[in-house]
Amino acid sequence: MALKGIDIFKMSPKKNCKECGVPTCMAFSMKVAAGALPIEKCPYMGADVIAKLSEATAPPMKTIKVGDLSMGGETVMYRHEKTFVSKTLYAVSVSDTQENADEVFEELKKVDYERIGEREYAEFVFVKHDGDTDVFVEMAKKAAATGRQVILDVDCPVCAEAALEAIKDAKPVLNGANAENVEKMNELAGKYGVVLGVKAEGLDALYDLTAKIEKMGNKNLILNASTASVKEAFAETVQIRRAAVKNTDRTFGYPVLVNTAALAPGDQAMQTALASLFTMRYGSIIVMESMSYAQALPLFGLRQNVFTDPQKPMKVDPGIYPLNGATEDSPCVITVDFALTYFLVSGEIERSGVPVNLLISDAGGYSVLTAWAAGKLSASTIAKFIKEADIGSRIKNRTLILPGKVAVLKGEVQEKLPDWNVIVGTREAVELVQFLKEFK
Amino acid sequence: MATLFERVFKGSDEMVERAVKSLEEVSARYSDDTAVAFPDTAYYLPCIYAMTGEKVTNVGELKNIMGWIQSQMTREKKTHDIFTSGIGTACAAEVIEACKYVDGQTPYDHAPLWGHCTDAEVRELGVPLVTGDIPGFVVLIGSAPSDEEAVATVKSYQTKSIFVFLVGGIIDQVTRMGVQTGFNVRLVPEGYDLWAVSHVISVAVRAALIFGAITPGDYDGIREYTFKRVNAMVNAYEPVDDMTVACGAGAISYGFPVVTNDDNDMWRVPMSLIVQPDTTKFVETSLEARRIKLKVTNVDIPVNYANAFEGEIIRRGDMQIEADGSRKDCLELVRTRELPEVEDHKITLIGPDFDEFEVGAKINLATIVEVAGKKMQTDFESVFERKFHAYINCIEGVMHTGQRDMIRIRVSKSAYEAGFRAKHLGEVLYAKVKGEFDAVVDKCQVTVVTDPEKVTALRKEANEVFDKRDARLLSLTDETVDQFYTCIMCQAFSPSHVCIVTPERLGLCGAVSWLDAKATNELDPSGPCQVVPKTGVIDENLGKWEAVNEAVAKYSQGALDNISLYSIMEDPMTSCGCFECICGIEPFSNGVVIVNREHTGMTPLGMTFSEMASMTGGGVQTPGFMGHGKHFIASKKFMKAEGGVQRIVWLPKALKDQVADKLNATAKELYGIEDFTSMIGDETVAEDPETLVEFLSGVGHPALGLDPLM
Amino acid sequence: MPFKKTPQKFSAAIKTVEIGTGDRKIVLGGESVMPLYSFDGPIENAPKVGVEIVDTGYADAPEGLKAFYAGCDTMAEQAKKAAAMEGADFLCLRFESADPNGADTPVEDCVAAAKEVADSVDLPLVIMGCKNNEKDAQLFEKCAEALAGKNILVLAAKEENYKGVGAAAGLAYNQKVGAESSVDINLAKQLNILITQLGVSGDSIVMNPGTATAGYGFEYVVSTLERIRLAALGQNDTTLQMPIITPVASETWGVKESVTEEADIPEWGDRETRGIDMEVATAAAVLAAGSNGVILRHPQSVATVSRLIRELM
Repeated sequence: MALKGIDIFKMSPKKNCKECGVPTCMAFSMKVAAGALPIEKCPYMGADVIAKLSEATAPPMKTIKVGDLSMGGETVMYRHEKTFVSKTLYAVSVSDTQENADEVFEELKKVDYERIGEREYAEFVFVKHDGDTDVFVEMAKKAAATGRQVILDVDCPVCAEAALEAIKDAKPVLNGANAENVEKMNELAGKYGVVLGVKAEGLDALYDLTAKIEKMGNKNLILNASTASVKEAFAETVQIRRAAVKNTDRTFGYPVLVNTAALAPGDQAMQTALASLFTMRYGSIIVMESMSYAQALPLFGLRQNVFTDPQKPMKVDPGIYPLNGATEDSPCVITVDFALTYFLVSGEIERSGVPVNLLISDAGGYSVLTAWAAGKLSASTIAKFIKEADIGSRIKNRTLILPGKVAVLKGEVQEKLPDWNVIVGTREAVELVQFLKEFK
Repeated sequence: MATLFERVFKGSDEMVERAVKSLEEVSARYSDDTAVAFPDTAYYLPCIYAMTGEKVTNVGELKNIMGWIQSQMTREKKTHDIFTSGIGTACAAEVIEACKYVDGQTPYDHAPLWGHCTDAEVRELGVPLVTGDIPGFVVLIGSAPSDEEAVATVKSYQTKSIFVFLVGGIIDQVTRMGVQTGFNVRLVPEGYDLWAVSHVISVAVRAALIFGAITPGDYDGIREYTFKRVNAMVNAYEPVDDMTVACGAGAISYGFPVVTNDDNDMWRVPMSLIVQPDTTKFVETSLEARRIKLKVTNVDIPVNYANAFEGEIIRRGDMQIEADGSRKDCLELVRTRELPEVEDHKITLIGPDFDEFEVGAKINLATIVEVAGKKMQTDFESVFERKFHAYINCIEGVMHTGQRDMIRIRVSKSAYEAGFRAKHLGEVLYAKVKGEFDAVVDKCQVTVVTDPEKVTALRKEANEVFDKRDARLLSLTDETVDQFYTCIMCQAFSPSHVCIVTPERLGLCGAVSWLDAKATNELDPSGPCQVVPKTGVIDENLGKWEAVNEAVAKYSQGALDNISLYSIMEDPMTSCGCFECICGIEPFSNGVVIVNREHTGMTPLGMTFSEMASMTGGGVQTPGFMGHGKHFIASKKFMKAEGGVQRIVWLPKALKDQVADKLNATAKELYGIEDFTSMIGDETVAEDPETLVEFLSGVGHPALGLDPLM
Repeated sequence: MPFKKTPQKFSAAIKTVEIGTGDRKIVLGGESVMPLYSFDGPIENAPKVGVEIVDTGYADAPEGLKAFYAGCDTMAEQAKKAAAMEGADFLCLRFESADPNGADTPVEDCVAAAKEVADSVDLPLVIMGCKNNEKDAQLFEKCAEALAGKNILVLAAKEENYKGVGAAAGLAYNQKVGAESSVDINLAKQLNILITQLGVSGDSIVMNPGTATAGYGFEYVVSTLERIRLAALGQNDTTLQMPIITPVASETWGVKESVTEEADIPEWGDRETRGIDMEVATAAAVLAAGSNGVILRHPQSVATVSRLIRELM
């Protein structure tokens, strides 16, 4: 059980020196408890206190970093308990003997876009060792040249070392260590300062091997889920997470890699289904043969949803969104910047086919009623937005449709925007299609 | 004078006798294995099958069943005997009717007589009965005093969507008047003979078999189902003979009230056997006896009524008339009355109507909504009243603000020109109160008063009511009630959060008081507010009860198992995200800082509202920190376990001004502190702990001398 | 120290609900473990996959789907094709055209079409309406009547029309009743209670606690389903132990990722592939969160998702 802020405060120096950057020891303690600041930020905590607190506040699963990417650090089984920490990352797999590898790399680069303030792309290239050392090294170099992080999937220490040497600045993941090569691989991981991937048949063997590597002093690991069958891979991934988070068995306190390319070779739709399953259930890296737009659109959308922080709603940028070929003569529908509201409203407007300028006003990322209740959506905020975004000169049409749920604002908005014709729209987005068709 | 026992026993004997006679006639012509069946039913002879489980399919079996019917004719003078005899009578009547159907005969041609209703017809009738679209059905027996009245009564039932069956002379009365009959118009003539009434009972018991899945032969199960779920009624016109009385006993046994205008030898049984000498009041009396509430579906006014008009503003120039409580006497009031005192949907205007005033006139206006209902409680009055604002605002061209005797209502010229008058305010309030609160409101009437003198007098009366209500609110304490309520309205945002609402601790959003929770529970029994009995006290000082812990565990789906209502240090109540205020302990002054959502500045804790909110929300217990409503600040239960309100060391100025009166009163009453708020810091005094402590020492704040908080 | 497995098996179980009759009838629910966790305990009734057939036809459908139903003029003909899909456990007839704000197809016509389907295939049937509460209530009542004895599931009763739908389907004609609420565990619970209070037995109810397409506020769906399952199994909350069914196709095929033609956004590539991936990704996610049955449209989605389920069992 994590420590409460009060318990931490009791051990704090209670001098409000502000050297940690926080005004009071109480505020600092609360932030440490919430995981927002490390305890070490306080220069006056005794070493014994820090050791005690670090142990108590350390998450049951380690956070493993590759470049700027983080994996693991999870504390719960379900997202409603607490926000998940590190989002699932995706890898595109190539074999060093694969003839169309260049094409794969080209395709990989094409899928790189933004969705609600987040860059969406496959973060890793997964280079599978099937040929000889030279081709593996060459392929590793090509992979590194994409600019994506690299995972070297190799069990031959000699090949591994050659590739590591060739792309050592890229700090690839070395995947991996098995019962036979563990000493050598661990040594390489240490030498090049890279994350080591652990592979074994079955949870028992994986557990023993991980424990063995930990004993060698390496705790910079990721665990491979079985590639024998979907059933095994799923059972292992879930049970590793459970062992780490629920039973605080720190030997399994590492992120998990799931290789769908190995589980369903050549079957793109099945790989999408598996990637979705493991995005829901505890895959930290999911390896696929491709990441086309068809796969990216649902998977990144799903990931963004699953890993969202319920206390920090997803926001879209305020502004004018012309839909269905809207021009400056099209009417305006105004709503809030809560991403879900935006998606629902824009989706329904698109379905109606009626050209409409969707105005998104800054409402702190809350839904209509919540924003209204919090004073973030009011006649004043609407009027201010219309004025500041200079809607008046960018759009000639003077019809402004309000969300039906804030019909109560109509009079006041009309008063503040006398040259607009303020109309109350529907309460639910789904009723918009009918409303807009009739309105037109 | 014959007793009710004598009349029922005599009447049931007569029916059995006739059944025996019919059987004899049938036996003379048909062999025992000749088929006896009503068409298109899977329930044999439904009355008999439902009550006995016996499947009568031929003449022989029909004869055998007479044995069971006769066994029901017990003759002790007990209610039980009346009931069994009554049901036996209905079954005997079914035997008589069944005899007409022997060997595939079709005794009724639906032109107009209907006889047996098929299973399909029962299902067709059953679905709207379950949904309430058809609120019930009635069987009219005998002849009304006149043809005109017969039709008027039938029409009155029909306009209320009640399904009507006819037995006896009234069939000819309505036919003579050219009224269309048939299943599709919900007016079905069964037959001229009394025993045709068995076809109506047949519909009722099949509803129990089909919709209630009651096992055939489950005698009490059938009766329980019909009593609870089948809204049927019997109206019997004089003269009512013994056989009809016996059938009535059967109806009552199924839970259906009988209303008659025959008072000869008639024994009144409250809510069951009712003598109503005025036949024109049969409909109202019957509905009341069966407790049938009619659904109000539309608001009958000459202007539009929609949520979209809620935010309309009516300017002085567009105004036809105005009622302004700050200038003239005005008021709005809900009163609870006894059922007979209220005539449903009566709208009364006392004083001149809107068209008798000049344009732009300022008028007096009192709107009094009187409601009655078995489950109505005076505590709900204020809950209804608070909704008037939204109800009236949704009228196109009418604006409403305020409540009680400080209201303002403006009616626009365009609404007036469209025909909007005083009574329409009544129509709106009637429809909304009846529609939204139908769980507790059985009847509702509205009086609109514009007569200045009368309104002035009413305002005095109303103020007494308001004072009484306020006194009741003050007297409501956690100690004086025996139950609290949960509120889980915001679980969509904060999955494991559960508010426990008590009289002295409203929901932390500030929007749900104990009375609101109570009303919500009555109106929506499976909704977000559930009863928590105040049982299994663990620690009264901390505010811990076993039942509260159980409720928290249940409604947080196991995320929490323990809360203290009166402590912020030990297992404090969790917070969702919608709290009005947060309090947090300020260790250097040994007290707590409270900050409200509107205050964006820094607090002496070194955290702003939003920083504190992000660490306190989400349904997680955070000792030392807690979300709460503004009204909780002055509560005697505010962190009572740690010393109560005297721990408050800092409040934003605006909030302090807002709660000062009540907070000072509480501090004086509990701790004898005068002008307590002057000792509490605010942003003009300090935004850091050192300056705050200095200030507190200067004014001698009591928190400094209390036991250490931790 | 060897690894200690700690299976998470609950003493409570999801209720079982049968749909359809005869050899092809299906059973939803029955498990005492979290969704798909067959390693924790047996899952006797694997989640089921249904094929959605829409009465508005496939004129706007991508080519492959159009080709699949080529030559089919009636729902019954489509149903025969759909019934032969690899992995199809049941069929779902969606009467989109019944919408009074759309084609307003009369209830009688819909019922006739449903009846024809029921006469031509032996797979269990689910009936979906047009999302107009009043029209749906009539439609479900008449379908329940016309298909009496077929043990169909009507999808679904909502707070606004549960009395009519529940009384007709659940009580008058002994069919199965879907209970649809909008992504909130308490609303789902309340509707189950209300339908139960109407007299419909708990094992005749299948929940649809709301759904969305992956990427479209899907986090609420995930948490609602997971919390329902945890409450049903962990808290033994009998009012939430009904199996869950999720109409996936009607959501995913309407979003812009599945609708936009390749010509409009060429880099997105083939529209049909996009539609399939959106459908299987959403289906896999709702199955992981707690669904006992998903309704899909594309043959390849049906095959893929049913194979995924098979491999997990």
